[in-house]
Amino acid sequence: MAMPRRSRRPRTTLLVLVLAAVTIITLDARGGFHVITSGVKSVAADAFAPVRSGVNDIIEPIGSFLAGSVHYGAVRQQNQKLQAEIGRLKRQISSQSDAEQAMKQLSTLLNLPFLANLQTVPAEVTNYGTSDFAATIDISVGRDDGVQLNMPVVGSGGLVGQVVQANHHTATVRLITDGQSSVGVRYGPPPGLLAVLTGEGSAKPLGADLVPSNTPLTNGEQFTTSGLQGALYPAGIPVASVITSKTGATASQESVTLHPLADLAHLRYVSVVLWGPSS
Amino acid sequence: MTPRDVVRVGLVVFAFVVVQQTLMLDLRVGGVHPDIMILLPIVAGLVGGPGRGATMGFGAGLVADLFLPTPFGLSALVGCVIGFGVGVATLALDRSAWWLPPVAALGGSALYEVLYAVLGSLLGQPQMLHVALLQIVVVVSVVNAALALPALRMVAWALAKASIEGMPTSAVASSGTR
Repeated sequence: MAMPRRSRRPRTTLLVLVLAAVTIITLDARGGFHVITSGVKSVAADAFAPVRSGVNDIIEPIGSFLAGSVHYGAVRQQNQKLQAEIGRLKRQISSQSDAEQAMKQLSTLLNLPFLANLQTVPAEVTNYGTSDFAATIDISVGRDDGVQLNMPVVGSGGLVGQVVQANHHTATVRLITDGQSSVGVRYGPPPGLLAVLTGEGSAKPLGADLVPSNTPLTNGEQFTTSGLQGALYPAGIPVASVITSKTGATASQESVTLHPLADLAHLRYVSVVLWGPSS
Repeated sequence: MTPRDVVRVGLVVFAFVVVQQTLMLDLRVGGVHPDIMILLPIVAGLVGGPGRGATMGFGAGLVADLFLPTPFGLSALVGCVIGFGVGVATLALDRSAWWLPPVAALGGSALYEVLYAVLGSLLGQPQMLHVALLQIVVVVSVVNAALALPALRMVAWALAKASIEGMPTSAVASSGTR
Protein backbone atom coordinates (compact mmCIF):
# COMPACT_ATOMS: atom_id res chain seq x y z
CA MET A 1 0.00 0.00 0.00
CA ALA A 2 1.45 3.34 -1.05
CA MET A 3 2.04 5.89 1.75
CA PRO A 4 0.05 9.09 1.33
CA ARG A 5 2.12 12.03 0.13
CA ARG A 6 2.06 14.98 2.50
CA SER A 7 2.83 18.60 1.80
CA ARG A 8 5.59 20.41 3.72
CA ARG A 9 3.44 23.52 3.82
CA PRO A 10 1.86 22.84 7.26
CA ARG A 11 5.33 22.67 8.84
CA THR A 12 6.26 26.00 7.27
CA THR A 13 2.96 27.44 8.49
CA LEU A 14 3.70 26.22 12.02
CA LEU A 15 7.20 27.67 11.95
CA VAL A 16 5.95 31.08 10.79
CA LEU A 17 3.18 31.13 13.40
CA VAL A 18 5.49 30.07 16.24
CA LEU A 19 7.96 32.81 15.27
CA ALA A 20 5.12 35.34 15.08
CA ALA A 21 3.80 34.33 18.52
CA VAL A 22 7.28 34.47 20.11
CA THR A 23 7.83 37.91 18.54
CA ILE A 24 4.51 39.18 19.94
CA ILE A 25 5.30 37.83 23.43
CA THR A 26 8.79 39.36 23.37
CA LEU A 27 7.61 42.76 22.13
CA ASP A 28 4.78 42.79 24.69
CA ALA A 29 7.22 42.07 27.52
CA ARG A 30 9.63 44.81 26.40
CA GLY A 31 7.44 47.80 27.19
CA GLY A 32 6.71 49.88 24.08
CA PHE A 33 4.51 47.32 22.34
CA HIS A 34 2.71 46.64 25.63
CA VAL A 35 0.96 50.02 25.32
CA ILE A 36 -0.54 48.82 22.04
CA THR A 37 -1.61 45.38 23.34
CA SER A 38 -3.00 46.98 26.50
CA GLY A 39 -4.99 49.42 24.34
CA VAL A 40 -6.33 46.60 22.15
CA LYS A 41 -7.28 44.62 25.26
CA SER A 42 -9.07 47.66 26.64
CA VAL A 43 -11.02 48.16 23.37
CA ALA A 44 -11.94 44.44 23.31
CA ALA A 45 -13.11 44.52 26.94
CA ASP A 46 -15.22 47.66 26.34
CA ALA A 47 -16.72 46.23 23.15
CA PHE A 48 -17.46 42.89 24.77
CA ALA A 49 -18.97 44.22 28.03
CA PRO A 50 -22.48 44.81 26.55
CA VAL A 51 -22.38 41.42 24.79
CA ARG A 52 -21.50 39.68 28.07
CA SER A 53 -24.19 41.58 29.95
CA GLY A 54 -26.81 40.85 27.23
CA VAL A 55 -26.01 37.14 27.09
CA ASN A 56 -26.14 36.86 30.88
CA ASP A 57 -29.56 38.56 30.86
CA ILE A 58 -30.79 35.97 28.34
CA ILE A 59 -29.21 32.92 29.98
CA GLU A 60 -30.47 33.50 33.53
CA PRO A 61 -34.24 33.35 32.74
CA ILE A 62 -33.71 30.33 30.43
CA GLY A 63 -31.87 28.52 33.22
CA SER A 64 -34.67 29.31 35.66
CA PHE A 65 -37.30 28.15 33.13
CA LEU A 66 -35.51 24.84 32.48
CA ALA A 67 -35.09 24.22 36.19
CA GLY A 68 -38.82 24.86 36.65
CA SER A 69 -39.72 22.46 33.80
CA VAL A 70 -37.73 19.63 35.30
CA HIS A 71 -39.60 19.96 38.58
CA TYR A 72 -42.99 20.23 36.83
CA GLY A 73 -42.98 16.70 35.48
CA ALA A 74 -41.54 15.12 38.57
CA VAL A 75 -44.15 15.73 41.24
CA ARG A 76 -47.91 15.74 41.70
CA GLN A 77 -49.95 18.90 41.75
CA GLN A 78 -50.18 19.14 45.52
CA ASN A 79 -46.51 18.46 45.95
CA GLN A 80 -45.78 21.02 43.26
CA LYS A 81 -47.63 23.69 45.15
CA LEU A 82 -45.90 22.80 48.38
CA GLN A 83 -42.51 22.57 46.79
CA ALA A 84 -43.03 25.84 44.97
CA GLU A 85 -43.95 27.44 48.28
CA ILE A 86 -40.91 25.93 49.97
CA GLY A 87 -38.73 27.03 47.06
CA ARG A 88 -40.13 30.54 47.21
CA LEU A 89 -39.47 30.77 50.94
CA LYS A 90 -35.96 29.37 50.52
CA ARG A 91 -35.24 31.85 47.76
CA GLN A 92 -36.61 34.60 49.94
CA ILE A 93 -34.33 33.56 52.81
CA SER A 94 -31.39 33.11 50.46
CA SER A 95 -32.08 36.43 48.77
CA GLN A 96 -32.43 38.15 52.14
CA SER A 97 -29.19 36.61 53.36
CA ASP A 98 -27.54 37.58 50.07
CA ALA A 99 -28.79 41.14 50.37
CA GLU A 100 -27.68 41.30 54.00
CA GLN A 101 -24.21 40.12 53.03
CA ALA A 102 -24.02 42.67 50.21
CA MET A 103 -25.26 45.42 52.54
CA LYS A 104 -22.70 44.41 55.16
CA GLN A 105 -19.84 44.57 52.64
CA LEU A 106 -21.05 47.91 51.29
CA SER A 107 -21.51 49.54 54.70
CA THR A 108 -18.09 48.27 55.79
CA LEU A 109 -16.57 49.78 52.66
CA LEU A 110 -18.06 53.17 53.52
CA ASN A 111 -16.26 53.21 56.86
CA LEU A 112 -12.81 51.83 56.31
CA PRO A 113 -10.76 53.47 59.08
CA PHE A 114 -7.41 52.86 57.41
CA LEU A 115 -8.27 54.96 54.34
CA ALA A 116 -8.41 58.26 56.32
CA ASN A 117 -8.95 61.05 53.77
CA LEU A 118 -8.13 59.06 50.66
CA GLN A 119 -10.72 59.27 47.89
CA THR A 120 -12.28 55.98 46.76
CA VAL A 121 -14.62 54.68 44.08
CA PRO A 122 -16.90 51.79 45.06
CA ALA A 123 -17.14 48.93 42.56
CA GLU A 124 -18.97 45.66 42.13
CA VAL A 125 -16.97 42.51 41.42
CA THR A 126 -18.26 41.24 38.07
CA ASN A 127 -15.95 38.29 37.42
CA TYR A 128 -13.63 36.07 39.38
CA GLY A 129 -10.68 35.82 37.03
CA THR A 130 -10.66 34.96 33.34
CA SER A 131 -7.63 32.67 33.66
CA ASP A 132 -7.04 29.63 35.85
CA PHE A 133 -3.36 30.64 35.93
CA ALA A 134 -3.73 34.06 37.55
CA ALA A 135 -5.57 35.42 40.60
CA THR A 136 -7.53 38.39 39.26
CA ILE A 137 -11.00 39.90 39.48
CA ASP A 138 -12.93 42.15 37.10
CA ILE A 139 -14.71 45.18 38.59
CA SER A 140 -17.49 47.45 37.34
CA VAL A 141 -15.61 50.76 37.24
CA GLY A 142 -12.98 52.00 34.80
CA ARG A 143 -11.16 55.02 33.43
CA ASP A 144 -14.41 57.01 33.13
CA ASP A 145 -14.77 56.74 36.91
CA GLY A 146 -11.23 57.97 37.54
CA VAL A 147 -9.64 54.53 37.83
CA GLN A 148 -6.09 54.31 36.54
CA LEU A 149 -3.43 51.67 36.19
CA ASN A 150 -1.70 50.55 39.43
CA MET A 151 -4.29 52.07 41.79
CA PRO A 152 -4.76 50.12 45.03
CA VAL A 153 -8.01 48.24 45.63
CA VAL A 154 -9.32 47.53 49.13
CA GLY A 155 -12.18 45.52 50.57
CA SER A 156 -13.65 45.08 54.01
CA GLY A 157 -10.71 43.93 56.10
CA GLY A 158 -7.82 45.25 54.10
CA LEU A 159 -5.89 45.32 50.85
CA VAL A 160 -7.33 43.35 47.92
CA GLY A 161 -4.88 44.11 45.11
CA GLN A 162 -3.92 46.53 42.38
CA VAL A 163 -5.47 47.63 39.07
CA VAL A 164 -3.52 46.00 36.21
CA GLN A 165 -5.88 46.82 33.33
CA ALA A 166 -8.10 49.92 33.20
CA ASN A 167 -10.77 49.98 30.49
CA HIS A 168 -13.42 52.66 29.93
CA HIS A 169 -16.10 51.15 32.16
CA THR A 170 -14.39 48.13 33.72
CA ALA A 171 -11.02 47.21 35.20
CA THR A 172 -9.02 44.12 36.07
CA VAL A 173 -7.47 43.82 39.52
CA ARG A 174 -4.53 41.55 40.37
CA LEU A 175 -5.18 40.06 43.81
CA ILE A 176 -2.42 40.07 46.44
CA THR A 177 -2.44 36.25 46.31
CA ASP A 178 -1.38 36.22 42.63
CA GLY A 179 2.15 34.94 42.06
CA GLN A 180 3.14 38.22 40.39
CA SER A 181 2.06 40.34 43.38
CA SER A 182 4.45 41.77 45.95
CA VAL A 183 3.51 44.31 48.63
CA GLY A 184 5.93 46.36 50.74
CA VAL A 185 4.80 46.07 54.38
CA ARG A 186 5.64 47.14 57.92
CA TYR A 187 5.21 45.04 61.06
CA GLY A 188 6.07 44.98 64.75
CA PRO A 189 6.10 47.88 67.25
CA PRO A 190 6.50 51.40 65.77
CA PRO A 191 8.29 52.50 63.69
CA GLY A 192 8.16 48.85 62.58
CA LEU A 193 10.33 46.58 60.50
CA LEU A 194 10.04 46.33 56.75
CA ALA A 195 9.27 43.23 54.68
CA VAL A 196 7.75 42.22 51.36
CA LEU A 197 4.67 40.00 51.11
CA THR A 198 4.50 37.81 48.01
CA GLY A 199 1.55 36.00 46.45
CA GLU A 200 1.78 32.23 46.15
CA GLY A 201 -1.30 31.61 44.02
CA SER A 202 -5.06 31.79 44.33
CA ALA A 203 -6.47 30.57 47.69
CA LYS A 204 -2.96 29.99 49.06
CA PRO A 205 -1.41 31.83 52.03
CA LEU A 206 0.98 34.72 51.35
CA GLY A 207 4.72 34.37 51.88
CA ALA A 208 7.08 36.97 53.39
CA ASP A 209 10.55 38.06 52.29
CA LEU A 210 13.13 40.03 54.27
CA VAL A 211 11.93 38.94 57.73
CA PRO A 212 15.20 38.29 59.65
CA SER A 213 15.63 34.92 61.34
CA ASN A 214 14.45 34.59 64.94
CA THR A 215 12.14 37.61 64.64
CA PRO A 216 9.53 37.26 67.38
CA LEU A 217 6.17 37.04 65.57
CA THR A 218 2.88 36.05 67.14
CA ASN A 219 0.03 34.33 65.34
CA GLY A 220 -2.49 36.92 64.17
CA GLU A 221 0.05 39.77 64.11
CA GLN A 222 -0.92 42.20 61.36
CA PHE A 223 1.26 43.47 58.53
CA THR A 224 0.29 46.83 56.99
CA THR A 225 1.46 48.61 53.83
CA SER A 226 4.74 50.45 54.42
CA GLY A 227 4.05 53.53 52.28
CA LEU A 228 7.72 54.10 51.64
CA GLN A 229 8.63 56.70 49.03
CA GLY A 230 7.75 55.33 45.60
CA ALA A 231 5.70 52.48 47.11
CA LEU A 232 2.77 51.12 45.12
CA TYR A 233 0.37 51.48 48.05
CA PRO A 234 -0.37 54.26 50.58
CA ALA A 235 0.79 53.62 54.15
CA GLY A 236 -1.25 51.90 56.82
CA ILE A 237 -3.57 49.59 54.86
CA PRO A 238 -3.87 46.23 56.67
CA VAL A 239 -2.71 43.43 54.36
CA ALA A 240 -2.40 40.11 56.18
CA SER A 241 -2.01 38.41 59.53
CA VAL A 242 0.56 35.79 60.56
CA ILE A 243 -0.49 32.13 60.43
CA THR A 244 2.85 30.44 61.03
CA SER A 245 6.47 31.53 61.50
CA LYS A 246 9.59 29.47 61.99
CA THR A 247 13.32 29.74 61.45
CA GLY A 248 15.42 26.90 60.07
CA ALA A 249 18.73 26.04 61.73
CA THR A 250 20.81 27.67 59.00
CA ALA A 251 18.24 30.02 57.49
CA SER A 252 18.97 33.73 57.21
CA GLN A 253 15.27 34.55 57.01
CA GLU A 254 12.21 33.61 58.99
CA SER A 255 9.76 31.43 57.06
CA VAL A 256 6.39 33.15 57.47
CA THR A 257 2.96 32.37 56.05
CA LEU A 258 0.16 34.92 56.26
CA HIS A 259 -3.59 35.04 55.71
CA PRO A 260 -5.00 38.01 53.70
CA LEU A 261 -7.23 40.15 55.94
CA ALA A 262 -9.72 40.86 53.14
CA ASP A 263 -11.96 37.88 52.37
CA LEU A 264 -10.70 37.39 48.80
CA ALA A 265 -12.86 34.32 48.17
CA HIS A 266 -16.17 36.12 48.76
CA LEU A 267 -15.65 39.61 47.35
CA ARG A 268 -18.87 41.30 46.19
CA TYR A 269 -17.90 44.95 46.48
CA VAL A 270 -14.52 46.65 46.67
CA SER A 271 -13.20 50.21 46.66
CA VAL A 272 -10.60 51.55 44.28
CA VAL A 273 -8.36 54.05 46.09
CA LEU A 274 -7.76 57.04 43.81
CA TRP A 275 -4.10 57.15 44.72
CA GLY A 276 -0.83 56.83 42.84
CA PRO A 277 2.78 56.81 44.03
CA SER A 278 3.02 60.52 43.13
CA SER A 279 -0.06 61.46 45.20
CA MET B 1 -9.73 30.59 2.16
CA THR B 2 -12.51 32.61 0.61
CA PRO B 3 -14.03 35.67 2.33
CA ARG B 4 -17.02 33.46 3.11
CA ASP B 5 -14.77 30.99 4.96
CA VAL B 6 -13.16 33.84 6.89
CA VAL B 7 -16.59 35.12 7.95
CA ARG B 8 -17.64 31.63 9.02
CA VAL B 9 -14.47 31.08 11.04
CA GLY B 10 -14.90 34.52 12.60
CA LEU B 11 -18.48 33.68 13.60
CA VAL B 12 -17.43 30.39 15.19
CA VAL B 13 -14.56 32.02 17.10
CA PHE B 14 -16.90 34.79 18.27
CA ALA B 15 -19.47 32.22 19.45
CA PHE B 16 -16.76 30.41 21.42
CA VAL B 17 -15.58 33.67 23.01
CA VAL B 18 -19.15 34.56 24.04
CA VAL B 19 -19.73 31.14 25.64
CA GLN B 20 -16.29 31.20 27.32
CA GLN B 21 -16.73 34.71 28.73
CA THR B 22 -20.26 34.11 30.01
CA LEU B 23 -21.24 30.50 30.76
CA MET B 24 -17.78 29.02 31.29
CA LEU B 25 -16.49 31.73 33.65
CA ASP B 26 -19.47 31.08 35.93
CA LEU B 27 -19.09 27.29 35.75
CA ARG B 28 -16.40 26.62 38.34
CA VAL B 29 -15.32 23.31 39.80
CA GLY B 30 -13.16 23.84 42.88
CA GLY B 31 -12.35 27.36 41.70
CA VAL B 32 -11.30 26.18 38.23
CA HIS B 33 -13.31 27.13 35.16
CA PRO B 34 -13.35 25.29 31.81
CA ASP B 35 -11.57 26.73 28.77
CA ILE B 36 -13.35 25.92 25.54
CA MET B 37 -11.12 28.19 23.43
CA ILE B 38 -8.62 25.30 23.50
CA LEU B 39 -11.13 23.17 21.57
CA LEU B 40 -10.80 25.34 18.47
CA PRO B 41 -7.24 24.34 17.43
CA ILE B 42 -7.88 20.73 18.46
CA VAL B 43 -10.98 20.22 16.33
CA ALA B 44 -9.53 22.36 13.51
CA GLY B 45 -6.54 19.99 13.51
CA LEU B 46 -8.95 17.05 13.29
CA VAL B 47 -11.11 18.57 10.55
CA GLY B 48 -8.58 20.48 8.49
CA GLY B 49 -5.21 18.88 9.23
CA PRO B 50 -2.03 20.26 10.84
CA GLY B 51 -1.89 23.52 8.86
CA ARG B 52 -5.48 24.53 9.64
CA GLY B 53 -5.05 23.41 13.24
CA ALA B 54 -1.98 25.62 13.65
CA THR B 55 -3.63 28.62 11.98
CA MET B 56 -6.79 28.28 14.05
CA GLY B 57 -4.69 27.87 17.20
CA PHE B 58 -2.79 31.07 16.47
CA GLY B 59 -5.87 33.15 15.57
CA ALA B 60 -8.15 31.87 18.32
CA GLY B 61 -5.26 32.10 20.79
CA LEU B 62 -4.68 35.79 20.01
CA VAL B 63 -8.40 36.46 20.50
CA ALA B 64 -8.37 34.53 23.80
CA ASP B 65 -5.30 36.50 24.93
CA LEU B 66 -7.32 39.72 24.67
CA PHE B 67 -9.29 38.62 27.72
CA LEU B 68 -6.48 37.03 29.76
CA PRO B 69 -4.06 38.58 32.26
CA THR B 70 -1.29 36.13 31.25
CA PRO B 71 1.40 37.16 28.68
CA PHE B 72 -0.13 38.34 25.40
CA GLY B 73 0.63 35.81 22.66
CA LEU B 74 1.10 32.81 24.95
CA SER B 75 -2.27 31.23 24.06
CA ALA B 76 -1.48 31.81 20.38
CA LEU B 77 1.90 30.08 20.72
CA VAL B 78 0.56 27.05 22.58
CA GLY B 79 -2.57 26.93 20.40
CA CYS B 80 -0.71 26.69 17.11
CA VAL B 81 1.59 23.96 18.46
CA ILE B 82 -1.33 21.91 19.82
CA GLY B 83 -3.46 22.39 16.67
CA PHE B 84 -0.55 21.24 14.53
CA GLY B 85 0.20 18.35 16.88
CA VAL B 86 -3.39 17.07 16.88
CA GLY B 87 -3.48 17.32 13.09
CA VAL B 88 -0.28 15.31 12.70
CA ALA B 89 -1.07 12.76 15.42
CA THR B 90 -4.45 11.88 13.92
CA LEU B 91 -3.43 11.77 10.25
CA ALA B 92 -3.08 8.00 10.25
CA LEU B 93 -6.26 7.38 12.26
CA ASP B 94 -9.79 6.71 11.08
CA ARG B 95 -11.34 10.17 11.40
CA SER B 96 -14.87 8.83 11.13
CA ALA B 97 -14.46 7.02 14.48
CA TRP B 98 -16.92 8.52 16.99
CA TRP B 99 -14.43 8.30 19.83
CA LEU B 100 -11.65 10.25 18.13
CA PRO B 101 -12.86 13.85 18.80
CA PRO B 102 -13.48 13.33 22.55
CA VAL B 103 -10.17 11.49 22.98
CA ALA B 104 -8.27 14.12 20.98
CA ALA B 105 -9.97 16.87 23.03
CA LEU B 106 -9.08 15.10 26.29
CA GLY B 107 -5.41 14.55 25.41
CA GLY B 108 -4.98 17.81 23.50
CA SER B 109 -6.46 19.90 26.32
CA ALA B 110 -4.29 18.22 28.96
CA LEU B 111 -1.15 18.81 26.87
CA TYR B 112 -2.20 22.38 26.18
CA GLU B 113 -2.57 23.25 29.88
CA VAL B 114 0.76 21.66 30.83
CA LEU B 115 2.59 23.36 27.94
CA TYR B 116 0.88 26.66 28.79
CA ALA B 117 2.06 26.49 32.41
CA VAL B 118 5.61 25.44 31.49
CA LEU B 119 6.05 28.10 28.77
CA GLY B 120 4.44 30.74 31.01
CA SER B 121 6.91 29.99 33.79
CA LEU B 122 9.79 30.17 31.31
CA LEU B 123 8.50 33.58 30.20
CA GLY B 124 8.85 35.10 33.66
CA GLN B 125 5.60 33.92 35.25
CA PRO B 126 6.88 31.23 37.66
CA GLN B 127 3.58 31.24 39.58
CA MET B 128 1.95 29.49 36.60
CA LEU B 129 3.58 26.25 37.73
CA HIS B 130 2.42 26.74 41.32
CA VAL B 131 -1.29 26.60 40.58
CA ALA B 132 -3.47 23.50 41.05
CA LEU B 133 -2.32 22.23 37.66
CA LEU B 134 -3.75 18.72 38.02
CA GLN B 135 -7.16 20.13 38.89
CA ILE B 136 -7.04 22.54 35.94
CA VAL B 137 -6.00 19.73 33.57
CA VAL B 138 -8.83 17.45 34.77
CA VAL B 139 -11.61 20.08 34.67
CA VAL B 140 -10.59 21.56 31.30
CA SER B 141 -9.94 18.18 29.63
CA VAL B 142 -13.16 16.51 30.78
CA VAL B 143 -15.39 19.46 29.82
CA ASN B 144 -13.66 19.78 26.43
CA ALA B 145 -14.03 16.03 25.79
CA ALA B 146 -17.75 16.35 26.50
CA LEU B 147 -18.10 19.31 24.13
CA ALA B 148 -15.82 17.95 21.39
CA LEU B 149 -18.54 16.68 19.03
CA PRO B 150 -20.63 19.89 18.86
CA ALA B 151 -17.40 21.91 18.57
CA LEU B 152 -16.25 19.66 15.73
CA ARG B 153 -19.53 20.21 13.86
CA MET B 154 -19.19 23.97 14.17
CA VAL B 155 -15.58 24.05 12.99
CA ALA B 156 -16.34 21.57 10.18
CA TRP B 157 -19.07 23.96 9.01
CA ALA B 158 -16.64 26.89 9.14
CA LEU B 159 -13.89 25.04 7.28
CA ALA B 160 -16.19 23.19 4.87
CA LYS B 161 -14.88 24.91 1.75
CA ALA B 162 -11.32 25.32 2.95
CA SER B 163 -8.61 23.20 1.34
CA ILE B 164 -7.37 20.42 3.61
CA GLU B 165 -3.61 20.34 3.72
CA GLY B 166 -1.17 17.63 4.57
CA MET B 167 -3.82 14.95 4.88
CA PRO B 168 -4.14 11.60 3.13
CA THR B 169 -6.96 11.34 0.61
CA SER B 170 -8.89 8.92 2.82
CA ALA B 171 -8.79 11.36 5.70
CA VAL B 172 -10.07 14.19 3.52
CA ALA B 173 -12.93 12.03 2.33
CA SER B 174 -13.94 10.99 5.84
CA SER B 175 -13.75 14.51 7.28
CA GLY B 176 -15.86 15.77 4.42
CA THR B 177 -18.70 13.48 5.43
CA ARG B 178 -19.19 15.24 8.75
